[in-house]
Amino acid sequence: MAGEPLLSVEGLCVEFKGARGIARVLNGVSLSVAAGETLGIVGESGSGKSMTALAVLRLVPDPPGRISAGRVLFRGEDLLQASTPRMRDIRGNKISMIFQEPMTSLNPVFTVGAQICETLTLHLGLRGEAARRRSIELLKDVRIPAAEQRFDEYPHQLSGGMRQRVMIAMAMACEPSLLIADEPTTALDVTVQAQIFDLLREIQKARGMGLILITHDMGAIAEMADRVAVMYGGRVVEEGTTRDVLDHPQHPYTKGLIACVPDLDQEVGERHALTEIPGVVPSVWDLQQGCPFADRCDEAIAPCRTSMPADVVSNGHRVACWQRPGERA
Amino acid sequence: MTSPMLQINDLRVHYRRRRLNPFAPVQAVHAVDGVSLAVEKGRTLGLVGESGCGKTSLARAILRLTPITGGSISLDGTRIDALDGGALRQMRRRMQYIFQDPYSSLNPRARAGNIVQSPLDVLGIGDAGTRAARVAELFGAVGLRPEQQALFPHQFSGGQRQRLNIARALAPEPELIVCDEPVSALDVAIRSQILNLLTRLQAERGLTYLFISHDLGVVKHMADDVAVMYLGQIVEKASRAAFFSRPLHPYSRALLSAVPSVKGGRSVAAQRIKLAGDPPSPIKPPPGCRFAPRCPVADARCHEEMPQLRDTAPGHWVRCHRVEIENGVPTSPLS
Ligand SMILES: Nc1ncnc2c1ncn2[C@@H]1O[C@H](COP(=O)(O)OP(=O)(O)OP(=O)(O)O)[C@@H](O)[C@H]1O
Ligand SMILES: Nc1ncnc2c1ncn2[C@@H]1O[C@H](COP(=O)(O)OP(=O)(O)OP(=O)(O)O)[C@@H](O)[C@H]1O
Ligand code: SF4
Ligand SMILES: [Mg+2]
Ligand SMILES: [Mg+2]
Repeated sequence: MAGEPLLSVEGLCVEFKGARGIARVLNGVSLSVAAGETLGIVGESGSGKSMTALAVLRLVPDPPGRISAGRVLFRGEDLLQASTPRMRDIRGNKISMIFQEPMTSLNPVFTVGAQICETLTLHLGLRGEAARRRSIELLKDVRIPAAEQRFDEYPHQLSGGMRQRVMIAMAMACEPSLLIADEPTTALDVTVQAQIFDLLREIQKARGMGLILITHDMGAIAEMADRVAVMYGGRVVEEGTTRDVLDHPQHPYTKGLIACVPDLDQEVGERHALTEIPGVVPSVWDLQQGCPFADRCDEAIAPCRTSMPADVVSNGHRVACWQRPGERA
Repeated sequence: MTSPMLQINDLRVHYRRRRLNPFAPVQAVHAVDGVSLAVEKGRTLGLVGESGCGKTSLARAILRLTPITGGSISLDGTRIDALDGGALRQMRRRMQYIFQDPYSSLNPRARAGNIVQSPLDVLGIGDAGTRAARVAELFGAVGLRPEQQALFPHQFSGGQRQRLNIARALAPEPELIVCDEPVSALDVAIRSQILNLLTRLQAERGLTYLFISHDLGVVKHMADDVAVMYLGQIVEKASRAAFFSRPLHPYSRALLSAVPSVKGGRSVAAQRIKLAGDPPSPIKPPPGCRFAPRCPVADARCHEEMPQLRDTAPGHWVRCHRVEIENGVPTSPLS
């Protein structure tokens, strides 16, 4: 791994208060990403991927949510201790985020051009014609056709994938050192996705930008990520280099996940049902003591239901599973 | 041969653009520009295409959620493009929509249970007791827990919200479901569950699906027939087997080669067909082939003359000048 991490998250916990008590949405999440590196995050829907991203930027809705433990070190500085103005500076100029739902983060009453220009004014001090020129350049970078005309359009006039690309353009506008992209390409066809990935890689190479890519697309992980973290039930259950994790998954959930990917290379003959992981995800409101995956796991043994397995690390490949004993970290 | 459940002829959806001054020429986005498609009862048509090519506009037009500029739409033999009022409401009951954006399509102030129940309320299906039972059944079917009925949309993760959308669409037992990227927000494990659920429901109830997706792996699994759209037009139409064993249009081939694979990773990524250039503008589509500006094998004719959608083999339609037919076998200009 390259040098000192740009971002390192240690033991992050997030709780939500509700009528039924306290829900532990993140339960000791640890991750790191170096400059120029891409960390992929995959995992079950509802496992806390977006929440991890929000917590890094201190955007967890508070109340009812609360970051209850952990550290978020950005170039050694603990963001959980940073002042409000300092956080504002970090969010604008150092760490950018592409949110999962473009419609909720684009303002419906302003044109996309006005919104990108505002970002440019705020963070780079560009105004007027210069801001307009740069905005159109950014829209072209993300392959929006007829960028000059699109500049004056409102978010509802764009297709789902164009909105996503506007979000990407806005995130790139402030030239961040770290980009957190939450499902940035779900609405894009694969040819445009490939162009966006090329663009991200170029920027990473040129500026040493760190990238956290949250996605459900295992193929995208295989292609983009240097390392990958697999989340389940508010925890990182496995983490390692992408090839290691995809070729030799250790955690039963990771194995299941990889088995569920429909295979495009398969013969066009008869179709059979896709592999599923049976069962439902445990509710975050039910305090569990054992491994969060135990109820659905076909390898579960007695200790799985009573206590959480600690991380086991070998050759940089970390896994939390009672079936994988070894030197405990 | 069964009659088509859904038949679309020469459908057009153009969005007029606001003029900056009254003397400027009227401009329109040609979102859907002469699309003809048919989906047989009980079958699934997979619709793929580049981002912004008009898939959502087509879906919304079928459901009569967007004004139609021209062409016709028939559901089970009945023209629905001109229906309104009560007749349209009756027809609505027979078709449902799973939206692309799981968040903005849910009412933020309604509880999850009520959201799923809402089509039953609006369409006046069943009584209080049967509606509640149906909602409980649907929650189970899409893998949500019963107690989650009391939560609000913001308390769900993105994928969980999409499951609410699916449960809501299934509620009135429609015959046609238009699925717009129904699973792209879901993890692959839940995705398999939902796709298996959709397949099972289709087998049990003879449902017809128009299935829009960017994920070709998913389309290959779900679709009986495949249509590929590019800038408002259909550029290829074929059975699943024909399409995946012999894709003909250069855009289709580029699409298939660009799918990132778990096994391949970066080495395969380097070998894919790269599309240079930018997607053309739907406001002023190019005069020739709409794919020509990005097509790796375009020649002079491609830039001047628009190719027609023609059948190159039984049931295999393609819109490309350069697909050749030799001894009855069509070959793609791009290999
Ligand atoms: N405001 C809230 N109140 C209570 N619980 C919440 C709230 N927001 C999120 N949650 C819960 O936190 C958990 C983690 O959600 P998060 O959005 O991080 O999931 P995710 O991993 O990003 O999932 P997806 O892949 O579906 O986007 C979920 O179980 C969700 O229900
Ligand atoms: N309400 C609207 N007003 C004006 N233009 C619109 C409107 N809705 C869509 N468009 C335009 O119509 C074209 C087709 O958009 P549509 O949403 O149908 O694409 P799509 O194929 O669903 O794309 P994606 O895969 O990105 O969701 C785009 O150029 C878009 O900007
Ligand atoms: S008609 Fe010409 S430009 Fe269009 S797809 Fe065929 S070869 Fe390419
Ligand atoms: Mg999320
Ligand atoms: Mg769409």
